[in-house]
Order: sequence, then structure tokens, then C-alpha cells
Amino acid sequence: MIDRLLDAARGQVDGADALWRREEQTAVSFESGRLKAAGISEEAGLNLRVVAHGRMGVAGTTAAKPDPKELVARASASAELGEVVDLAFPNASPHSLPPIPTFFDRTANASLSELIRMGRLLVERLGRPDCQVNVAVQREVADTAVGNTAGARGEYRTTGIAVTADITRIAGDDVLMVYDQYVGADMPSDADLEALVRSVDTRLTAALKIVTPPDGALPVVFTPAGLAAVVLPLEQALSGKTVLQGSSPLAGKVGETLFDVRLSIIDDPLTPGRPLSRPVDDECVPSRSNGLVERGVLGQFVYDLETAARAKTQSTGNGRRGVFGKPQIRYTNVLFRDGDSAGARHGVPYGHASGVPLLGGGLIADIEDGLIVDDLIGVGQGNVISGAFSHPVGLAYRVQRGEITGRVKDAAVAGNAYDLLKKIGGFGSDGRWLGARWSPSLLLDGVSVARR
Amino acid sequence: MKDRLAAAVTQSRADYTEIRVERTWSSAVAFRGRRLETATVSEDQGGFVRVLNKGCGWGIASFTSLDELPAMVARANELSRAVRVDDPIRLAETRPQLADAILELDGDVRGVPLAEKKKLLDRYNGAMLAVSNAVVDTQSSYRDEVSEVWYVNSEGTSLYQLRPEVVVSGTAIARRNGTIEKGLESIGLRKGWNSVQNFENQFRVVAQRAVDLLDAPRVRGAAYPVILDNELAGVFIHEAFGHLSEADFVYENPQAREMMTLGRRFGKPVLNVGDNGAAKGLRGTLPYDDEGTPTQDTPLIKEGILVGRLHSRETAAKLGERPTGNARAISFRHPPIVRMTNTYIAPGKQGVGFNDLITDIKLGVYACGAFGGQTMLENFSFTAGWGYMIRDGKVAELVKDVVLAGNLFQTLDRIDHIAGDFTWNQMGGGCGKGGQFPLPVTEGAPHVRIEEALIGGDV
Repeated sequence: MIDRLLDAARGQVDGADALWRREEQTAVSFESGRLKAAGISEEAGLNLRVVAHGRMGVAGTTAAKPDPKELVARASASAELGEVVDLAFPNASPHSLPPIPTFFDRTANASLSELIRMGRLLVERLGRPDCQVNVAVQREVADTAVGNTAGARGEYRTTGIAVTADITRIAGDDVLMVYDQYVGADMPSDADLEALVRSVDTRLTAALKIVTPPDGALPVVFTPAGLAAVVLPLEQALSGKTVLQGSSPLAGKVGETLFDVRLSIIDDPLTPGRPLSRPVDDECVPSRSNGLVERGVLGQFVYDLETAARAKTQSTGNGRRGVFGKPQIRYTNVLFRDGDSAGARHGVPYGHASGVPLLGGGLIADIEDGLIVDDLIGVGQGNVISGAFSHPVGLAYRVQRGEITGRVKDAAVAGNAYDLLKKIGGFGSDGRWLGARWSPSLLLDGVSVARR
Repeated sequence: MKDRLAAAVTQSRADYTEIRVERTWSSAVAFRGRRLETATVSEDQGGFVRVLNKGCGWGIASFTSLDELPAMVARANELSRAVRVDDPIRLAETRPQLADAILELDGDVRGVPLAEKKKLLDRYNGAMLAVSNAVVDTQSSYRDEVSEVWYVNSEGTSLYQLRPEVVVSGTAIARRNGTIEKGLESIGLRKGWNSVQNFENQFRVVAQRAVDLLDAPRVRGAAYPVILDNELAGVFIHEAFGHLSEADFVYENPQAREMMTLGRRFGKPVLNVGDNGAAKGLRGTLPYDDEGTPTQDTPLIKEGILVGRLHSRETAAKLGERPTGNARAISFRHPPIVRMTNTYIAPGKQGVGFNDLITDIKLGVYACGAFGGQTMLENFSFTAGWGYMIRDGKVAELVKDVVLAGNLFQTLDRIDHIAGDFTWNQMGGGCGKGGQFPLPVTEGAPHVRIEEALIGGDV
């Protein structure tokens, strides 16, 4: 399909690249502990980008039998209105694409009853009186083909599986929600599912008692889930797009020490076993691992072909496209690591949480009074890129004299991500994947905590 | 198309079968700063099948290849039969509907050249950039669509709906040294080309505000009396209360049902709340929901008392209540779930204005505009676009980073004064739930006063 489309484009336009993707999903869902629904979805789509008379345009379709000529005409019409871009479509790679496992037979072949079995296991293990458990299991198999008129081609198959569990406990007017997930390219082992159960159980049990929140500028342990508000500004500011637009506070600071000298941030599409890993990006750029922050020093920003052309640099292989829009910069697997830790420097961590999930990651022993933040409400709203955040807690625990004393409610935490990451009080021993991000808990000092 | 769907439904071996097919024509233009990002026309199409059998769960299939329709009906039936349930799933009875519901297109977007749409957005985007050199970046987008939706079920309902939608939005980013602020304007309507003309001034205003915020102090974190402007009051009622009124939260959960018992007092007698999918021309407006149930105006809180909730046919049957036309799906890729449409706080007494709300506040916050909101049921957060301190009964200095952290029960009960100046929000954006985002919804409200609310920030 890609070849037919690129053939139709040749001669009509200066150059073109295209993506074809077919996805098949199978999902089962348990509501309030009961199996409720099973579903499948099948979707295929074709996306074409052209450069015509120096201008860029795009078109996409989900039609079952796409007409290459119609798509080329539509992309060309889009290009008539488009900007002039000096896009360099990558040539056919002289080396073969990096070999990474993205397709796992066990995941692709898992039967509906196997998916139901996993869901039922979690429902049974997580069930408690007065609690409602929802579980969803979703498996995906996708085929991707990318190509361009410069001769580059890439094709690969991926599998992905997501097992999510949430538990809600309502007592009077108190609503407690705890959530966790396993996401991987390969099926979870029973140990992975056990780790998920323990993670939910540990956090639920510690939350049963409600205590008064502290207030003031305090030490706060952000768990891997709780870190979202702190890492989101960085992810925006490290995008080559925001740098080009003049809105990244990190622009012009490559090579400067901006963060704690132990902090390293890597975007790695080559991590085995992760659903977003792939040998080539959606613009035919071979995948490679990119150090964004190395031991506190700003290393580089991420680019796709268009932003790289504008910034007069190389694409970092972070182009991602859907069926309808143009390619955009997207992270793949982002790892937040302690650059000093030997374990993190050598082995590439993957898979799910290993060992007992310690709430607080072993970072609370020296905290006289503070918080563990596991979930904040409203992350991503507000003025994210400025680094300032202010959110009510969704799930947080008070720490007093080195011990968790209970859950706090009606409290809000605030701070500035760039300032807080200048001095990291500690990296937890609980590093894990959460979706596409790997991180341990981080201890950050001087976080504003307000209570009612 | 209806006949094709009816034939597939007739051939289905399941006890209940429904098929929804969508064909969506859309165009999109986006600017980032002075650069055009994209200008494209797209066509998306696909189908959704959902079946139910006695003693079994839902079997669901979604697909882009319509040639596969009969096979997909069969697959959905197999999936349903693979899911054995002890507690039967029932659907509340509804009268079969036969209709072609064509919403007013108000300037059919399909007839407007893409170049015209680019020109319109260029004007709005340019208006923001022209405000000041401190406006370093913008993100502007225009998106329209005309969606044709066919829906047929095995109980005799057969519908064709034509749903238009148009959204224009712009974010202005102002920067001075290390300080970065933003202003956001967004207009979204279930209408067409004519309804999004002549908004330059609104875009100019938000860009100027982003610049003004550069010099504004952060609000000090504390509990204050707070007045919400119309836009934020609307987002507040959506986040704080609306999601709890969605019956899929309570229907399988006895504790939640107890918490949300009809007749429970949620607020003072000034508070009246509802959800109206049948209101005219708004973003959440639909003649029928995605189960073929007609939409309606559903009262949720009357004089402070909980009186209703939003239903799909399944949740209504379970709770012995009536469907309200709130089963919605963002596209053929998803099953319908219980969602809001146009949610509102009804106006207070006519003649009661902003001044009546502010006059006896010594120190407080006037929170305006909305960057967004999120709920965890009991607790919620919503982020104002900007705010002012209130000092001695008057609006005082501009402040930034105004985030309200709230507890539903406490906050609703602390609404003590509601103005008569009701307006519907006409924002784009949308609501996310169960992996379905963005669903077109809107809210409406007058100015609302909360006696005391927690505002996060430096302490």
C-alpha cells in the first residue's frame, strides 16, 4: 500500500513520505468485580505527507480501499496552503535498522479466555468488603509500514498489553481511589500481576486512616505516579518545538548544569519489552537512544524532521504521526534515573516493579514531617511550561518521624519543577515503569503544602 | 445506509443488537506563532456493533472497514456469549425512534474553501501576536466537522443524524526573561462557518491578559471567600458535581448509591443544577444520544436537594429510573457511556448582580476563566485562567496561578449567593472519561459565590 501510494506521488510532488498502520485490539472489562463486556476493534489508516513546490501538506484516510490518487491530490491541496520547509527525507539506511524485539507471540496469541483469566485473578486478589474493583485488560497487535520517496522503508509488528486495576472505597462521604497498571509488550508474568496487587494493596491499606495534613514548606516524596506534575514541564521544555517557538525556558542552555548532578533523563525507543519501542520512527529515521539530561547537564532537545530542518539540526527520531495530522514530536520511553547509581548506569531496567513496592521508595526514614504524594488532581492544566504547579492531592500520605501516619485530604501542594529538581534529596529504590515513563520516587525539599 | 444496517441487525443471532455507522468530513487549520502548522481536509468513517444475550455480557466490535459489517455482528455475538454474567444486564425500555435529525449547519463548512479557513485563523492568530512583543508564541487552531451518524437497533429504532461542529481556539504565550504566562480563548459550537466570525477582539483580550500576568503576583495559598465568573462556575459544576451525577458511578456500588441518595441535601436553597442535551445550538447538544434515546433537560439539584442523575439505558434499568439521553460515545471507536451534555447552574434571582456578591467581602479572590478541571469524585481541582484579589468589597489587583482545590460536599454547601446573570459557555475543548476524549460538552452559569474555598499556592 505504501509503495503504491509513493508511486502515485512520484512526479506529482517534490517528495513524500507515508505511514500505514493497522491495529487490532481485544479488550475485556470487569465492573465492580463482575465481568461485563468483551470487545474487539480493528482499524487501518494511511497518512501521506508531501512537499510540493517547496511547501508541505498532509492528508489521511481510514477508507477500506484508499484511492492513492485522491490522497495525493488532497495532500497537494493542503500543501498549496502550507509553509515552505526544507525537509530532508532520510535515504535508505545503509545499515539494517536496530534489532529490537517489539512483537511477542505470547501477547499476540493470548486467547480471550486467557485475558479473562488474568482479569478474574486480579478481581479476586483485590476484592475487599466495601470496596469496588474495576479491572480492564487490553491487548493490541499492530502492523506499521513507513516509507518515503528517497527510498527509505521500515516495517515492523508490535504487541502491547495493558492491565489496569482500580479500587474505590466509599465510607460515608469519604471517597478513596487507588489505581495501578501493568503495561508492556510482553504478557505479564504471575509475579508481575502479584506486584500490581501488592502495589494497590499497600497504598490502600496505608490510606485507611485519615490524618490532618501538615502545612508549610516541607520535604515531599513524589512516587513514580505522583511525579507527573514535576516531569511534565520538563517534557514540554525539552521539545525542540517549544525551543523553536521561543517558549522553552531551557532554550539556549545546552551544556549548562541545570539540575541536580545525579539526574539523568533519557528518551529510549530501544528499551526491550516496551510498547512504544520500535526500530524506526514514523518518518523513517532509525531509532536511537537520546540523553536529554546527563548528570544534571542539559544534553539535547528532541526533534522530528520538520523541526530539525527549521532548527538546522538532525531529527532525533521522535517523529510520530496519526492517520490524519502531520508528524509531531513525541517522546518514546522516557527514563528518569540516578546517573550515579551503578545499577541504573549498566543494566537497562525494564519490566514491571521488581520486589516489594515500598511506599516512599525507602526515602522517608529521615523525614520529620512531610508528605508522600502519589496522585495529584488537575496535572497538565494551568501554565505547565513555566514549571509552576499547584494541585490538590488526589492520594497523599503524611510522614511523621520517618513513618507513614495516614492519608491526608483537603491539602494542596505547589512549587516550581525546575527549582525543585536543582536539589534532589534522594532517588528511591522503587524505580518502575508507569506507562511510557520509568522513574523511582524522588525526595524533593521545600515543597509548599497548604491545607484548609 | 439505514437499510443496510437494518438488514445486518435482522441477521444478527443476538437477543439485542445495535449498529452505529459514522462518516465524518472535517477540516483543520493550525498556526504556531506566525507559521502555519497544517491545513487539511480529512474523511473518517467506521462502524460500531454492540450486542447482548440473555445471561451474557456485552459483545462489542468497532471497525473501519464497513465491508466487514455482517462479520463484525457475528464476532460481537461470539464475544457476548463468551462473557457469562450472574447478574443479568437489562436495558430500560424506550420507545423506538424513527427520525432524520438534521441540525442547523449555519453556513455549511463543507462549502467553504480551506484557504478561507486559513485566512480567518490567520486573522485571529495575528490579532494575538500584534498585542505586544512579549507575546512570543501562539497556538491557534480551527477545526470543523460535519458528522453523519446512522443508528439502528433491534427494537425498531432507526435514526439518521447530521451533526455539525466548529471550534476556534487560540493560546497566547507571553514571556519576559524567565517568566512565562498564557492566555486562552476558545469558541466551540454545534454550528457552522457563520457562527465563528468576528472574534478578533476576544483573541486580542486574552493575549493582553497573558502579558499583564507577567507582572502579576502569584495568589497566596489560603482559604478565601471566592467569586467564580460565569465560565469558571460552569467548569466548576461540571467537575465538582456533574461527574458524580453520572449514574455509572453509582449503579453497581451500594456505598456510592448511599452517598448519592436522591433527596439528600447538597447545597443551600439558592442552588439549582441540571443538564440539558436538548438546548439549542450548544456544543453538547444532540437530538438523540448514541443509544437512540431523545435528549432532555434533566434537573439534578433543585433548591439544594439532589433530585436526579444522568443515565444510559443500562444504568436506568438497574436503578429503576428513566433513561435521560446521556449515553454518548466520542466516535464509532467507542461504546456509549454515561456523559454530560450541557450542564448548568440555574440563575439566581433576576436583578442580583456581581456587585451584590462582592460588596461584603473584605478579603477574597475573584477567579475568572478556566484552563481546565479534574475530579476524583469527592475531591476536585479547577484552574482559573486568571484572578483578582477582592479587597474591601472591590476588585483589586490581578493575580495568577489561581487553582481551587475543593471537596465536593463542603464546597457545594458553601455556595451562598448566585447572581442572575446566566450565560452559556461557548468553549471548545471537551470532557474526558474512560479513555474517551474530547467529548463535546459545555456548561452554563451565572456569577457564583463560595463562602470559603481553598486556593493552592505558596504559603
